[in-house]
Amino acid sequence: MKRHFGRIKLGLALATLAAAASLIACQPSATPAQPPQSTEQVPVESPPAQQTSITMVVAQEPTGFNGLVTDTGYEQLVGELVYLAVSEIDPQGDIYPELAAEIPTLENGGVVLDEENWTMDVTWKLRDDITWADGEPVTADDVVFTWNAITDPEKGIWVDGVDYTDSVEKIDDYSFVVHYNTVFPGYRTQFGGENFAVYPEHFCEAEQGFTAWDCNRKPLSDGPYILKDWQTNDYLLFERNPSYYEEGKPAIDQIIVKVVPEESVRKTMMMEGDADVNMWLTVASVAELEGQPGVYVSHAPTQRWVMRLIPNLAKRGTIDASAEPHPIFSDLQVRKAVRMAIDVDTIVKEIFLDYVQPVWTEFFRPPYNVCDIPRPAYDPDGARALLEGAGWVDADGDGVRECHGCATAEEGTPLSFELMTYAEFGEELELAQQLIGEMLGGVGFDVQLSVIEGAVLWADYESGGIEQNGDFDLNLYDDGYPGTDPTDNMLWYYYHTDAAQPDSGWNVGRWSNADFDALIDDAYTLDEEYRKEVFCQMAEIMDAELPQILMWSGIEANAFSSRILGAQSTVNDSLSWNVADWTLGE
Amino acid sequence: MLSYILRRLLQAIPLLLILSLLLFTLVNLAPGGPLAGLSRTRRASTEKTEQLKQQFGLDKPLPLQYLIWLAGNDWMRVDLDGDGVKESYGTRRGILRGDFGFSYRTRQPVIEEIRHRVGNTMYLVSITLLVVALIAIPVGVLSAIKQYSTFDILATTLSFVGQAIPEFWLGLILIFIFYAWLENPLTGQPLLPVGGMYTVGAPFSLLDRTSHLVLPVIMGMVGWVAWYSRFLRSSMLDVIHQDYIRTARAKGLREWAVMFRHALKNALIPLVTLFALDFPYIFAGSLYVELIFAWPGMGRLYYDSAVRRDYPVMLALLIIGAGLILICNLLADIAYAALDPRVRYD
Repeated sequence: MKRHFGRIKLGLALATLAAAASLIACQPSATPAQPPQSTEQVPVESPPAQQTSITMVVAQEPTGFNGLVTDTGYEQLVGELVYLAVSEIDPQGDIYPELAAEIPTLENGGVVLDEENWTMDVTWKLRDDITWADGEPVTADDVVFTWNAITDPEKGIWVDGVDYTDSVEKIDDYSFVVHYNTVFPGYRTQFGGENFAVYPEHFCEAEQGFTAWDCNRKPLSDGPYILKDWQTNDYLLFERNPSYYEEGKPAIDQIIVKVVPEESVRKTMMMEGDADVNMWLTVASVAELEGQPGVYVSHAPTQRWVMRLIPNLAKRGTIDASAEPHPIFSDLQVRKAVRMAIDVDTIVKEIFLDYVQPVWTEFFRPPYNVCDIPRPAYDPDGARALLEGAGWVDADGDGVRECHGCATAEEGTPLSFELMTYAEFGEELELAQQLIGEMLGGVGFDVQLSVIEGAVLWADYESGGIEQNGDFDLNLYDDGYPGTDPTDNMLWYYYHTDAAQPDSGWNVGRWSNADFDALIDDAYTLDEEYRKEVFCQMAEIMDAELPQILMWSGIEANAFSSRILGAQSTVNDSLSWNVADWTLGE
Repeated sequence: MLSYILRRLLQAIPLLLILSLLLFTLVNLAPGGPLAGLSRTRRASTEKTEQLKQQFGLDKPLPLQYLIWLAGNDWMRVDLDGDGVKESYGTRRGILRGDFGFSYRTRQPVIEEIRHRVGNTMYLVSITLLVVALIAIPVGVLSAIKQYSTFDILATTLSFVGQAIPEFWLGLILIFIFYAWLENPLTGQPLLPVGGMYTVGAPFSLLDRTSHLVLPVIMGMVGWVAWYSRFLRSSMLDVIHQDYIRTARAKGLREWAVMFRHALKNALIPLVTLFALDFPYIFAGSLYVELIFAWPGMGRLYYDSAVRRDYPVMLALLIIGAGLILICNLLADIAYAALDPRVRYD
């Protein structure tokens, strides 16, 4: 039992507590001695002499086990306990087979390219030693069934790769082929990654539909654990799956996922030893929990989220940057000055306590962190000189520059704009916003700060979404792509010219560069070396034109009890990605 | 009396309809939409957004959405797969027939979401109110009887403190003292547990349940005890200066009989109104208590639905809450008539 606070004995306590203390004397420990009643039929084996159990505390209840339908991150956490996918991504970004026997490639013959039509077929071979908890084997029928349910127009859900996939067909019980209508470099994680799971055909009811079927909440497991009990908004209780395919795994008998909304309570429970895993720590919690006896904080080895500034190149309230350019941010010199005037190191150190890292290019994640883009210098004097040279001068001496001969605004237009961020991130981002406002104010900008609800900022065009409608000047928030392939989810969606149309994508800065668009098209190839070259050309264009200003990475950290061995945080999956490998030490 | 009740019930119907229209419109006209909260990626894929809009019926004009929410769509043909062809009847029955739709987040029927939690909230709030009554009534009465005594001054001061303490802060302090600081010397465990209604996985134990109740009840009751005891004190003071109390004393009744048989009985009547207004809390729960002590109740359901923009859940809670307030007000009026012979509605 780990204790953080100084303690006093009961003699010092109020007399009224004595009665309560005696009541609690018989309280059972947090580790239950007996499992609750089973809710599903599973093969029975002799119970171990001493059940091992861990408790994970989470801020929100998972909505189910299906992160493709609703993705709060908690679905992944519990989904990894019960469902397997065809392939997965490890914390370093390497893809490994799970249900699959191997990852198909051009070299091993799993991928067949039709260079004439620029299409491809991918053949997956599955392991033949994995079963569902009821003893039925996991087969290619289950994969095909899952894919068909996902792509059902009425009750399915849009997923990555669906537009490139003509069909998924069974070859035999343990192999299937995917016919693509193009070359899709993200094929290796199309049936895996952070949210995709394979569902049992004989158990899930197709007519209920993928988005609402019962097995999203009452799963039949092929993963390391089996759901035994779910008390809504309270806890989920899992027990080890005795028929899990990896011999001797998992080592921990029972996992309780407990919903504890208040962060300070979760933290205290960790310190008291009543919780073993505290998911998604804030910077303040990391600082407090690191060094606590009995607790360690695991940081992801690579990062995904990047805090960034998105300048609107179109006039505020419009969506066509070439027809009506933004008077301030369509000026490249202004964008460069903004980047030069922000002291990222100070923000990283003072607000994020050095738990995040400076980032200045989209290609900072493995395997594509290969481009030689020099880190931009913090240079407020250089920023001032740049603005002077671009015709942004403080002629009236009020501390705010105005346009006097600038290229993009009318004479006398002040260098004044709104810096908007979102509320849900919390205090650290708002402090960073204030600091950025001060830094920009120091070189002659007049910055108005505002904090908006994310649901309003990112709503679709018809719902009045601020970004889709172009109703902003400069936005500040974190974003990043899932998986390892940036082509679809980052490069096209956020930078392609076609994605600048309302509700077509998220190029809300309305940046357009024909060369960049062509490079995105070029990136749809399986030649990894060529892709890296293409990405580095893109990185240079982005560095020169600054459609977005990237500043620092996010934080992906989870706290674990010291007795848990083998856990590792990751941005590519949930913290439970390797839960079958966890063991309990002293 | 019966005709009065009927009249009030009939009046409630148009009122609820107007409320439903107002609530639905206000919720749906709020900036942003319900879809942004469904994805951890800051900006959801537009293809998925379009598909979800269609699945949730958000692609239809707002008046039609309201009509479907109210009266269902099982009487009209709908386009289920987005191909533009209205091929089959819908499945929604509308709130008028008890169908509150399904949660955008969990895809579960709203009524199920409520059913899983309402019992937990009623359990906690009922016990809290019981403890409130057990403490507030004697304190209020004694304060009034012993006006300006040391006890009265102490009780009044504490009730001011009780009302002034922020509930959220109180909860954290309780956790610090009774969970993190004090320990049970016999077991070495924290003196009182936090987090939930019972120890997960352990067999049923009344002791375990009770110990999980202590801190949430203390947190929830402090404000109410302060409020009710002050209210009762002032109500009691009003009554004991009435002529009929003087008469009772003049008749030679003992002081306790005067106070408890004549004064208290009358002083409690205004409490009925107060209680009727507080009664919907039994359904709604206390957000802060549920957040701090991880109590799986209605307060958190409403909070989550509001924060995550789960409109069907939020609307159901709002409209049920509104209905409960109307009913409780009516019950208060009826109780008044029953308790006070001077009140007549006919």
